[in-house]
Amino acid sequence: MNFLRRLKPSSREGSLALILIVAVGGTGLINPRFLTGDGTRDLFTSTSVVALLAIGIAPIVIMRHIDLSISSTVGLTAWVVADMCAKNPDFTWVQCFVVGPIIGIAVGIVNGLLVAGLRLPSLVVTLGTLYIVRGFVYVVSNSVDYNAQEMPPSLLDLGQKVFFGLLPFTFLLVIIAMLLMGFFMKYTKSGRDAYAIGSNPPAADLVGIKVFRRTFLAFVFSGFMAGLAGVFYLMRFAQVDSTAFYGQELAVVAAVVIGGVTIMGGSGTVVGAVIGALLVQTIQGGLAALGVDAFWKAAVNGLLLIVAIYADRVLAVRSEKSLLAQRIRERV
Amino acid sequence: MANKGELLLEMNKVAKRFGGAVALKGTDLKIRAGEIHALLGENGAGKSTMLKILAGVHVNDGGTIKLGSKDFVTGSPQESINQGIAVIYQEPSLFLDLSLAENVFIGRQPKKGAVIDWKFAQSEAARLFKELGVELDPKRQARGLSIADQQVVEIAKALSMNANIILMDEPTAALSASEVDRLMTVMKSLKAANKAVIFVSHRLDEVFAISDYITVMRDGATVSENPVGDTNLQKVIKDMVGRELTELFPKTEHKIGGVVLEVNDLTNPAYFRNVSFNVKKGEIVALAGLVGSGRSEIARAIFGIDKYESGTVKVNGEVLPAGSPVIAMERKIALVPEDRRQQGLFMVAGVDRNISMESFSALTDRGLINFKKERSLTETWKEKLSIKFANQSDPVDRLSGGNQQKTVLAKWLATDPDLLIVDEPTRGIDVATKAEVHRLVDKAAGEGKAVLMISSELPEVLGMADRVIVMREGKQVAELSRAEATQEKIIAAATTGKKSA
Repeated sequence: MNFLRRLKPSSREGSLALILIVAVGGTGLINPRFLTGDGTRDLFTSTSVVALLAIGIAPIVIMRHIDLSISSTVGLTAWVVADMCAKNPDFTWVQCFVVGPIIGIAVGIVNGLLVAGLRLPSLVVTLGTLYIVRGFVYVVSNSVDYNAQEMPPSLLDLGQKVFFGLLPFTFLLVIIAMLLMGFFMKYTKSGRDAYAIGSNPPAADLVGIKVFRRTFLAFVFSGFMAGLAGVFYLMRFAQVDSTAFYGQELAVVAAVVIGGVTIMGGSGTVVGAVIGALLVQTIQGGLAALGVDAFWKAAVNGLLLIVAIYADRVLAVRSEKSLLAQRIRERV
Repeated sequence: MANKGELLLEMNKVAKRFGGAVALKGTDLKIRAGEIHALLGENGAGKSTMLKILAGVHVNDGGTIKLGSKDFVTGSPQESINQGIAVIYQEPSLFLDLSLAENVFIGRQPKKGAVIDWKFAQSEAARLFKELGVELDPKRQARGLSIADQQVVEIAKALSMNANIILMDEPTAALSASEVDRLMTVMKSLKAANKAVIFVSHRLDEVFAISDYITVMRDGATVSENPVGDTNLQKVIKDMVGRELTELFPKTEHKIGGVVLEVNDLTNPAYFRNVSFNVKKGEIVALAGLVGSGRSEIARAIFGIDKYESGTVKVNGEVLPAGSPVIAMERKIALVPEDRRQQGLFMVAGVDRNISMESFSALTDRGLINFKKERSLTETWKEKLSIKFANQSDPVDRLSGGNQQKTVLAKWLATDPDLLIVDEPTRGIDVATKAEVHRLVDKAAGEGKAVLMISSELPEVLGMADRVIVMREGKQVAELSRAEATQEKIIAAATTGKKSA
C-alpha cells in the first residue's frame, strides 16, 4: 500500500503520463507491434501535427481564449507551400519552413488584432476566421491538388527521417517546442502573465499586466505553430487538397483539455497538452487495433473528453473540500 | 521614504463625468505621510470614482492631482503602480489559480537573468506575510483563502512594490471582528512606516477608532475634511446624508404571535452542531457571531440549499423536508443571501425581471408571463421600497449597492413569505439606505412575518433584534433577550463561548 502511495504522481502531468503508459501497454496486449520501435514511431508521426497545434493553442486556452481557426490555417499553409514548391522546383525544405510559418503568423495577426485589439470574443472571431481562411483556400486552390512528385524531395526525406529508430524528425521538433514553451510558460513574466489573464481577466488589467500585448502575441504564436503544422502535414501525407485538415480544430482543443488545460483558463501546461494529444492518438490506435469502426472512434474520443473534464471537476471539488477543512482546522 | 506629515497627495477640484452623468465635481483631498485617512460618503458620492482615478483606471477631466511636488501621471494601472500608489479593491482581485508568492509579485516578478527567480519570490513573500503577522504558505494556491487572508496577500503586494500611498476600498466589509482587529494592526504598522493609508468604510465605529483624518464626500464633491478630534459621529453622518438622520434603527414594538420556525438539534458537522431555536410571528431574531461561526450555513440549511446530517426544521408546525429550496419557498420561506451580486441577483437582467423572478406563478396567464402584471408589480415595489432606477428594464448592475439590496428585498417580499431570512442585509450600503432597510425589515415583522437576521454588525443586532442567538464555531453559545443583550455580552459569547463578560 505504501509502495502504491509512493507511486501516486503528485502532478497532473504525472497522472496523465501514467494513464498514457497504461493505454500504450493495454494496446500492446492486443497488438504487440504497438510496443515495438515501429509502433512508437507511428504513434509519434501521427501525433506530430496535433501535438504541435496543441502547443500552439495551450497558451491561448490558459488565457481563457480559444483559437478555432488553426485547422483552416493548416489547410492554407499546406496548400500554398505545396503550390509554391510546384512552381519553383529548386525550392527545398528550407523555403517551406520559412513560408509556412509566415502565412500562419499573418492569420494570427488578424485574430490577435480582433481579439486583443477590439476585445471581441475569441470563440466567435476565430470561428469567423476559420470559415474565411477555409473559403480562401477553396478560392485560391481552384480544385488543384498536389502530390508527392510536386514536392521538394528534401522536405519529404526530412519527413521520413527517424532518430534511434523511433523518434521521427517532426516529433523531435514537437519535443523541442514543448520544452521551450514549457520553460517559457513557467519561468518568464510573459508566461506567468498568461496564467494571470486566464485566471482573473479584470484583475489582470488592474495589476498592470499588458493584456493587449500578451493576448495578441499568443494568437500570433498560435498562427506560427499552425503554419509550421501545415508544413508537417505535407511531410506526413505528401499530398494536399483544399479540404486538408478540415474540421480538425476541435480534436486539438480536445487533446489540450484532456491534457489538463482548463477550458476556463488559468491552469494547465504545455507538457500536459502534448501528453493529451499522445493519449488521444494512442486510444485511437488501440481502437483501430481492436477493429473498432470509425464512428465508434469518434464517440470514444468524445467520451474521453467528458471523462477528462469530469476528472477535473472531481479533483476541484476534492481540493475545495480539503481547503475548507484546513480552514476549519486552522480556526479551531 | 517620506517624512511624517509630509504632503504625499493633493487633489484639487478634481472632476469626472461619464457621458452625461457627473460623477465628481470638484473633489479635494490632502493626504500626508504616516496618516490613516478615512474617505466617507454614501453610495454614489463618488468615492469609488476617485479611487479609480488614482488607481489609473479612469482619467479625470478636470482639476489637478499632485504627488508631492510632481504632477500625477494618469493613464494606466501600471503608471499608478510605478508612482507608488497601490489599490486594494473591495473584492480582492487575486488570481485564484496562482500561488500566493506569485500573486504578490504578479506583473513584477523578480528575475535572475532572463527567468523568474521563484525561490526569491517565495522567501520574500514569506517575509512580507510574517511582517504582516499572518504566516501564510507562499507556495499555496490562492483558491480557498478567506477574504481576510486574501486582503493580507493584497497588502503584501502593496508593500512589495514599495507603495507609499495605499488605498483600501471597504476593506472591512466582509471581515469578522477579530479579522478587523488584525487588519487595523496592519494599518497601524503601515502608518508607523510613514505610508499613507486611505480607506473607504461604511462602518463608522471603525472609522473613528483608527483614522487620523476624515474626509466626507457627497454628490461628487468634498463637503468636509477634519482631523478626527475635531469632528464627531453626528457631524459626519450629517455631512454624508446632507440632513440629520432621524433614526438608524427604527425598531417598533410588535405583537409577537405563535412559532413560525422551529429548528431542533440541527447538525451538519462541518459547520454547526445541535442548533435549536425558534422564531415567532412578528419577531426579529438575530444570529450573531463571528464570520465563519456557521450562521450563514444554518440559514442555507433551513432554506434547503445545503443538506444537514440530523435534526429537524419545522415551519408553521409541519416538518420541512431537507435539501429543497423549492419546497422551502412553497412553504413561504424567503432567503435574502449575504452576497447579493453572486447569489441574490441576476446582475445583467432588468430590475423588473429580478423583482418578479420568484413570483412568476402570480404573474402568468395560462402559462405565459403577463408583462403588464410584471410592470405593475415592479412599480408597486419600487414605490414601497423607494428603489431608485430610471427604467424598469435597467440591468441591476447599474444600480447603486443600496438599490441593489432593496431590489433583492423586493424580490423576496413580493413572495409574501411567513419567514424572512436576511443574511447581512446592510453590508456595503450607506447609512441612509441602511436605515431604510432596517425600516423595511421592521415593517415586515410588523406585518406578522417572522424574521431571522444574520448580522456581523453589533449595533444592527442590538438595534433591531427582539432576541439574539450567539454562535461560536458552529455551536450555539448564548441566547439573549432584547433587554439582556449588550455589545459586551455578545462579543464575550462569540469569542469565548461564555455567557457573561
